[in-house]
Amino acid sequence: MRERETPKAVGWKAWGLMALLFLSLALAQSPQEILSRMVRNLDAPWQAEVRGEIQGPGGKEEFRARVYAISRQGLFRIEYLKPGSLEGNFTVITDKEVWNYLYLTNQLIISPKEKAQVSGLGFNPALLGNAQAMAERLDLRLLGRVSTPQGPAYRLLGQPKPGEALGFREVELWILEEDPRPVRFIFRGEGGQVLGDLQVVAFQRANLTPAGLKRYPKDAQVVRR
Amino acid sequence: MRRWIWLFFLGLGALAQGRLEAGAYFQGGLFPTLEAGFALEEGEVYLRLQPGRGGLGYLGGVALGPLGYLGYGLQGEVGEGGLGGAVFLEGGAGPLALEGRLSYRPQAAFPLFPEEGLWGRLALRYRLAPKEVAGLLLEGGRAEATYALREGATYTLGLGVAGSPYLVLGFKGEVGEGGEVLDLALRLGGVNRLEGGLYLGEASLLFILSHPWAGSLTLWLGDLGLEAGFHQAPYAWVRYAWRWP
Repeated sequence: MRERETPKAVGWKAWGLMALLFLSLALAQSPQEILSRMVRNLDAPWQAEVRGEIQGPGGKEEFRARVYAISRQGLFRIEYLKPGSLEGNFTVITDKEVWNYLYLTNQLIISPKEKAQVSGLGFNPALLGNAQAMAERLDLRLLGRVSTPQGPAYRLLGQPKPGEALGFREVELWILEEDPRPVRFIFRGEGGQVLGDLQVVAFQRANLTPAGLKRYPKDAQVVRR
Repeated sequence: MRRWIWLFFLGLGALAQGRLEAGAYFQGGLFPTLEAGFALEEGEVYLRLQPGRGGLGYLGGVALGPLGYLGYGLQGEVGEGGLGGAVFLEGGAGPLALEGRLSYRPQAAFPLFPEEGLWGRLALRYRLAPKEVAGLLLEGGRAEATYALREGATYTLGLGVAGSPYLVLGFKGEVGEGGEVLDLALRLGGVNRLEGGLYLGEASLLFILSHPWAGSLTLWLGDLGLEAGFHQAPYAWVRYAWRWP
């Protein structure tokens, strides 16, 4: 004869069932739904810091950058802090163009988005925080969930759509469930090697203006390509 | 015939993005200057014309995203005194920036073709640390080494030799909230020259004052350029630039 289950055991089972239910519900979410939620959540201007390691031209290097975004207008600014050879450089992504400011030569290189080069950083900074660009350029699928210091997160895997040369084979993207925003990017190359492992920290809503994001030194030489 | 010329320019305008800079130069007499550039799928073809000399060139570039940019080009010339030409490479990648130019023309033709004879310039800049840059410049019998430190503004200190030694002092910093920049460089000794630029976006003011006495003052108001100065004799140059689309 089976022993009667104690109330505590029943409680644990119920919790387990609920967890399973939530998990299955979470897994039932399509990547597009998750991205849509993220797009809505990131609609107001925000800023964050991206830090981690990248595979630079000279090997593994520390990477740090500040990202400023007015997602609603498709406007992003990435200010590079590390590696040291990039400090002072920044990238501005508008709805039609990519601007790269180069501190050492004081040049602003403006390219149409379709002509903008893969960065040479081992990943494309244009994807950082730009859900719309990810949806357009990557085939996405949900791998599962993961727990992070900021809370549970979805794990998405993105592979460049045919014809998209983004400089990596796949990117693993972690998106917080409660406050849908990216918290980690893992870019992998053709051989599966990690090209960049970046975490998004110090996220905050901010009072940003388009003029502020497009700001550059007025003596810069502007080169249009 | 005139109609065909207009159609030619309209056709180029419709086909490409480009720029046209037309000017009037006065030094003893008045003559026109013209610079035009037409963007190709990759790079740009440009034309420089003034009475007595003309040049046709190509400008190309390799963009490396936030890592850098390398521009290169070549120019051929015809005109008084004979043929001439120039090749150049400039830009940077990671911690290194360089500028190299080599040109030859039998005689100078101001204002578009200023250098005379065989002329070369090599400038190298290297980031020692994120905020420190060392530079080396070799130009027409002059050599200069500099060290620049960026602490908010950028301060430059250097030494050069042009027959006799000279000192280089520089300051460059933002003077407004919108990226406005003041750039000053003073050379004293074997070269005596003060150069400055105030860049406000829609307006820029630039000046050069050197000894033995020569100098210029240039004001750019949007696409209109007004320049006056002294180079062997007083001169003035008015330019207007169109860019399309």
